[in-house]
Amino acid sequence: MEKAIIVRYCEIHLKGKNRGFFEKLLQKNIQNSLSDIKHDLRVMHSRYLIENYSDEDYKEIIEKLGKIAGIHTVSTSFVVKNDYNEIMKAAISLCADKKGTFKVETNRADKTFEMDSMAVSRTLGGDILAEYPSLKVDVKNPQFTVNVDIREDGNTFVYTDIIHCLSGMPVGAAGKGLLLISGGIDSPVAGYLTCKRGMKIDCLHFHSFPYTGEAAKQKVIDLTKRIGDFNGGINLYVVSFTHIQEAIHKNCPEEFMITLMRRFMMRIAERLSVRLGDQAIITGESLGQVASQTIESITSSNSVVEKLPVLRPLVMFDKLDIIEIAKKIDTYDTSILPYEDCCTVFLPRFPAIKPDLRKVIAAENRLDVEGLISEAMKDIECIEL
Amino acid sequence: MIYFDNAATTKPSATALSKAAEFNNENFFNPSALYRGGLYCNNSLKTARSSVLRNLGLSETKYEVVFTSCGSESDNNAIFGAVKRGVFVTDKGEHSAVIKCFIEQKNRNNTVFFCGLNKDGSVNEKELLSLITDNRVDFVSIMHVNNETGAINDINALANKIKSLNPNIVFHSDGVQAYGKIPVSLSDDIDLYSVSSHKINGLKGTGALIKKKKLNLSPLVFGGGQENGQRSGTENVFGIKVFEYAGKEHYSAIKENYVKVSEIKKYVTENLDENLFSVISGENCSPYILSVSAVGVRGEVLMHMLENRNVIVGNGSACSAKNRYSRVIEACGYPKDVLDGVIRVSFSVENTLDEAKEFVKAANESAASLKRMMK
Repeated sequence: MEKAIIVRYCEIHLKGKNRGFFEKLLQKNIQNSLSDIKHDLRVMHSRYLIENYSDEDYKEIIEKLGKIAGIHTVSTSFVVKNDYNEIMKAAISLCADKKGTFKVETNRADKTFEMDSMAVSRTLGGDILAEYPSLKVDVKNPQFTVNVDIREDGNTFVYTDIIHCLSGMPVGAAGKGLLLISGGIDSPVAGYLTCKRGMKIDCLHFHSFPYTGEAAKQKVIDLTKRIGDFNGGINLYVVSFTHIQEAIHKNCPEEFMITLMRRFMMRIAERLSVRLGDQAIITGESLGQVASQTIESITSSNSVVEKLPVLRPLVMFDKLDIIEIAKKIDTYDTSILPYEDCCTVFLPRFPAIKPDLRKVIAAENRLDVEGLISEAMKDIECIEL
Repeated sequence: MIYFDNAATTKPSATALSKAAEFNNENFFNPSALYRGGLYCNNSLKTARSSVLRNLGLSETKYEVVFTSCGSESDNNAIFGAVKRGVFVTDKGEHSAVIKCFIEQKNRNNTVFFCGLNKDGSVNEKELLSLITDNRVDFVSIMHVNNETGAINDINALANKIKSLNPNIVFHSDGVQAYGKIPVSLSDDIDLYSVSSHKINGLKGTGALIKKKKLNLSPLVFGGGQENGQRSGTENVFGIKVFEYAGKEHYSAIKENYVKVSEIKKYVTENLDENLFSVISGENCSPYILSVSAVGVRGEVLMHMLENRNVIVGNGSACSAKNRYSRVIEACGYPKDVLDGVIRVSFSVENTLDEAKEFVKAANESAASLKRMMK
């Protein structure tokens, strides 16, 4: 019996005349992800079919599909002829290691098939019970369902398990953005959520050697790589931030250290976005989580961005919920490695929690803002991951 | 590059590597095999065992050598193999390979005591002896040289005092930072002693546990019965021979090396700016390790700054770089601003006085500029 993986998408269903665009994009993303695995991808009505893969690659294929935004569920299915006996053999083989209660659900698109769907379900249920007397039927709340999908093209899919995937929209469907990534718990999660909604991302990290070391940078590289799995590959841009931190530290009141740093980061992010063609800046800010994320602090850093929207996917998330996602996408353990990160070395004893924008600007006026930014923009390292 | 992180690991000796190369080439045989090649390898292991004992001044009739994969494995085997149930005593300055074993012993419902330290990281002898007097102790582990401060514990004297209080106690010492560096003959009061190859220009992946023959030690690794049944698994003949040859290089000039490295350490200690650095290592310390703190500056930041000038030092213990403060220096009783600034400078005999001069200059300048910046 032939096997195939059925791939179903989710929100694309809601699209109207532009549905084709999304379908093609998802198809391309699947093909890219599976490019080094032997398989055939068949486009069917509102689903894709992966066929002719070898059994050794099966686990890797499922794992990769699980990281492609836009895929709702996948099922591994037997593909048989539209013939009751074949369907029955497939169903009996699928139930071999099953226990408990089940039902049969039949969808008959091929109206020339000799039995109607109710008859198929009923007869098949009976045949399965005859083969495995320990199973029981429960049509209201079954422990597993045998699905029979009789298609017009002469093939029938028979499967039991449905694996839930990422959902969301295909990456690239919602343009391109630049994620500020720090090495903490939040920004990788923000990046993941952005990819999941279909926005392709680049990453920007501020490195302050010697205040942060190579280990801290490696941590960001490792985190970015993880997000890259959801993004179909990723570029990490590393900007040296040391001279800016030192200038602020030397010339401005201690309490505005973080506020001013954030303003510089946003300015640099905007300029890099324009250079890369990114249409938004994405941050991992969560309202009120730390002093630099109060509404006053966000207002202060937001006000230097002139051309682009700043997206904050986590703005209303609780920390525990963020941690839960970080664990799910396997970034948490890397994020909590305690290497110095860009914010902690110059952390003031009493940071301004509600910075007054006029005072912030007055402090900033002591600096050669333009000069410091152009120096930072001169030498940006790009790491392709 | 100036490499002053020799307590973390050392560069493998080219001479030792090339001398041992035959065991990766024509004499690649399994030392348990009964044909000539196997016997040759087995005999080569015997010479390596003898040389370890000779280096430490131990007699072959009383002691034997169990080759392991590292110092940590040796420590684990000593701590879990000698006494199953009882009272265990160690000190707060031990390497994690010992501390974590003691914590595990506690989890296994054994009684465990951690003795305090003196300011330089050596064990507080008075406290240690009173622990022995007040409890029916079964097992004691005191490190020979502290891997963070370099403090030397006089383990011969300590073991003697402990045994005279209670002769049934099993005494183990982690000698990883002492072997090949501190000229000493071990006394018969020491039952178990751990050493490691890569700290003396050998390879990572080779260590040894020296044990008294009459001591019953249950193994951690079971199998083919190699190493007298103490540590199964086909012996790493190449690694062990490199260990032997590297050991020979060190012990043939151990006193001269001690003097030479002492001069380097003395120069560094005397010339680091005393307004910037406070020295944690005391008088009675290994010349190979110097622990200092750039008070008010972060040790890791200073380390990176030095790295940028091609000078490599350690921050605290490289094995515990994931933890913020050094547990050991904290146990010495220093405040947080000192703990924050700790760096470990550790030397080898290949280092020169010129390197020490360059290091001192780089360290003084870097710490000064950081301190200005942090103000």
